[in-house]
Amino acid sequence: MPVKFTRRQATMLLSSAVIAAPYIARAKSAAQAKLEGATVNMLAVQFAHHNHLWDQIPEFTKEYGIKVNIEFAPFDQTREKTLLEMSKKTGRFDLFTTDVMWLAEYASAGYLEPVAKYVKNKDLTTEDFDVNDFVPRIYSGTGVYNDTLYNIPFDAGSVGVEFRKDWMQAKGIAVPERFDGKWTHTAMYDAIKALHDPDKGVAGYVTQPQKWFWGWTLTPLLYAWQRPETIGNEFVDRDWNVTIASPENLAALKWYLSLREFTPRNDGNFGYGEVVSTYQQSKAAGGIHYTSFIADAFEADGMPIKGRSAYLHHPIGPYGRLDPFFGSWGLSISTDSRQKEAAWTFIQWATGRKAMEQSGLKGGGLVRHSQYQNKDIQAAMKWNADLYPLMLKFADPDERIRIPEWGEFSNEILGLYGNKAWLNEMTPEQALEAMEKSFTKLLKKGGYYAKGAKNPKQNWRDLSYYDRAPADWT
Amino acid sequence: MKTIVGIQHRSFFPWLLMGPTLAILLAVGLFPFGYSLYLASTNIVLSKPYLPRVFMGLQQYQDLVTDPDFLNSLKITATFTISAVFVEFWAGLGLALLFKRTIVGKSVYRLGILIPMVIPPVVVGLIWKYLLYPHSGLVTYFTTQVAAIFGLPPVPFLSSPQTALATLIFVDVWQWTPFMFLILHAGLSSLPNEPYEAADIDGASRFRVFRTITLPLLKQSILIALIIRTMDAFRTYDTIAILTQGGPGNATQTFNVWLTNLGFIAFDASRAAALSLIMFVIILVMSFVFIQIFTKTDPLLER
Repeated sequence: MPVKFTRRQATMLLSSAVIAAPYIARAKSAAQAKLEGATVNMLAVQFAHHNHLWDQIPEFTKEYGIKVNIEFAPFDQTREKTLLEMSKKTGRFDLFTTDVMWLAEYASAGYLEPVAKYVKNKDLTTEDFDVNDFVPRIYSGTGVYNDTLYNIPFDAGSVGVEFRKDWMQAKGIAVPERFDGKWTHTAMYDAIKALHDPDKGVAGYVTQPQKWFWGWTLTPLLYAWQRPETIGNEFVDRDWNVTIASPENLAALKWYLSLREFTPRNDGNFGYGEVVSTYQQSKAAGGIHYTSFIADAFEADGMPIKGRSAYLHHPIGPYGRLDPFFGSWGLSISTDSRQKEAAWTFIQWATGRKAMEQSGLKGGGLVRHSQYQNKDIQAAMKWNADLYPLMLKFADPDERIRIPEWGEFSNEILGLYGNKAWLNEMTPEQALEAMEKSFTKLLKKGGYYAKGAKNPKQNWRDLSYYDRAPADWT
Repeated sequence: MKTIVGIQHRSFFPWLLMGPTLAILLAVGLFPFGYSLYLASTNIVLSKPYLPRVFMGLQQYQDLVTDPDFLNSLKITATFTISAVFVEFWAGLGLALLFKRTIVGKSVYRLGILIPMVIPPVVVGLIWKYLLYPHSGLVTYFTTQVAAIFGLPPVPFLSSPQTALATLIFVDVWQWTPFMFLILHAGLSSLPNEPYEAADIDGASRFRVFRTITLPLLKQSILIALIIRTMDAFRTYDTIAILTQGGPGNATQTFNVWLTNLGFIAFDASRAAALSLIMFVIILVMSFVFIQIFTKTDPLLER
């Protein structure tokens, strides 16, 4: 017999359902209810596309009764501020945003709390977290160091190049698709050369030769330039002998330096800010980017160049290799935090399906299958179409090799001597030799060559390590 | 009745009064100094607490002075300090002499001149970063237009190793010439009129008056201004960090920038401590030299 309601009863029932819906979907456990009133403090990198996630924090506070304070640091100061805070061991910050390239450094120093125990704790982790919805390589690549999970991803991407497709078409240059095998280093060089127009004040290409940025400008080229037999030896061999000054790396550096002819004059101290502003002002036909920056840097509403660019992968190297660059950010808990459970409650919410979907729709980072498969996100960020297969099969989380020394190596060795080569203060050969010598010294200082040294695993030689199902990390 | 803390105990009572101040000075001065000495004698890397600590003796100092960066940073720091202070001194003195004359609206101009000095160095760095920004910076835009008229390329203010240091010196001069002006202007205002009146009666030329009366009488103010500015320029960090971060290459890597790189990029607390102690010695030597000059030129301070 059908149940009949009066109009008043139906209205009340419907209202109650609407009010209760979010709580039914993400019911708070007794353990989470105990955390009400807690405040967690986070030190976070300042990126526009991360704001799409942080903007939702009031909803978290409303739902869980936990307040989140964020202190932002500019990208180029994040590592130093984070490490300084961590080494003080005051527990002032419960949470940190951790770039994959710094995970080994933070984790090996014992500054990060292993989080697998929280992932498996049903009292603290809601179904919305849905661990196996994370793309395995993004989850493991962002979070695992030395077989332990420390970091949950909320942003991942790759490095690529953007080109003005309207100008390419006008010059009769075919605009390639992202994984088009025709987008080789020679094709890119030719396109840059053809688009370079100094009389109109347009550079063929703009990049970031400042020493801080060589970790994601030169590294993709070093990877793309390897022969099949040298893959994995971009920086070190299996015995940790430094191999930077290899003929393949020299060829990659020389190709990169050959672009100087078509870049803005005197760009020796250009960083990413200068790259973006030069390209935004149509002063360059092409430039380098990180995929997660595209939405806010080039495709935001009102941007004069919106819809005019082709977003391509880094060019294929001389032996047919496509660079597998992987970049990501995760949330990690400080070992000195006195609010670890509250901090985890925030992480599982922020990286959960709902918050990540909302963030992804506005241009935030993509880390979940459900985000990549979301039709609305696909429509809003067409340039990400080929990112999903890259993250599923090709991305190498260890492209910037997973060692505690990467931060120092990237800035003070790779960047410093790379920048000197760009400025013609060193030949490419001298720069690579200097890198090799300094990196060897750094590894020696880190104890890599000591008897019985327990060096990190070289997982980049077998990427299936990162393909384990997310739920399997213990 | 006499007590041990009574005012009658002349040998003890002053120490009692100075006690709290001395305790604070010891805590904020001597302890960090001693701790730096300890750090410099070990191998502490803050990002690698797992490395075994070993006693290094003077090895850190030896490694630093034999590092090619040491000579490079010394050269850049010296060039920056000497050039900036030299220009600031003459520009400040020129302005101070100008303001000794009767000028309409002098107080308004003086206020305008002093503005850069009161802006925090970080803000100064940001202001000039945007003024010199490639393509869109106000200064870059206009200089590019002017250069184009003469068929010259844009001026690479911060992007070329040949010009970046000069740009930093210019920014320092822009910010700190007012300080020189302020001290020298105060010094000039306090000079007695009699020597000038006598020189006027004798018919001495302006240059002779400046050389034989103004400069000698102004010597104390000049020395104070030079000492303070030299120490300050030697330690400049904020504007350099914001404008060039020590680059391009390491063309603008002063001691302070190098020290920060060692401390906060390499997190090598021991090397950073050793470098800070070397800098301390350099400052100590500079201070000694200045104090010697100061006491030799002021008969009142001679013993």
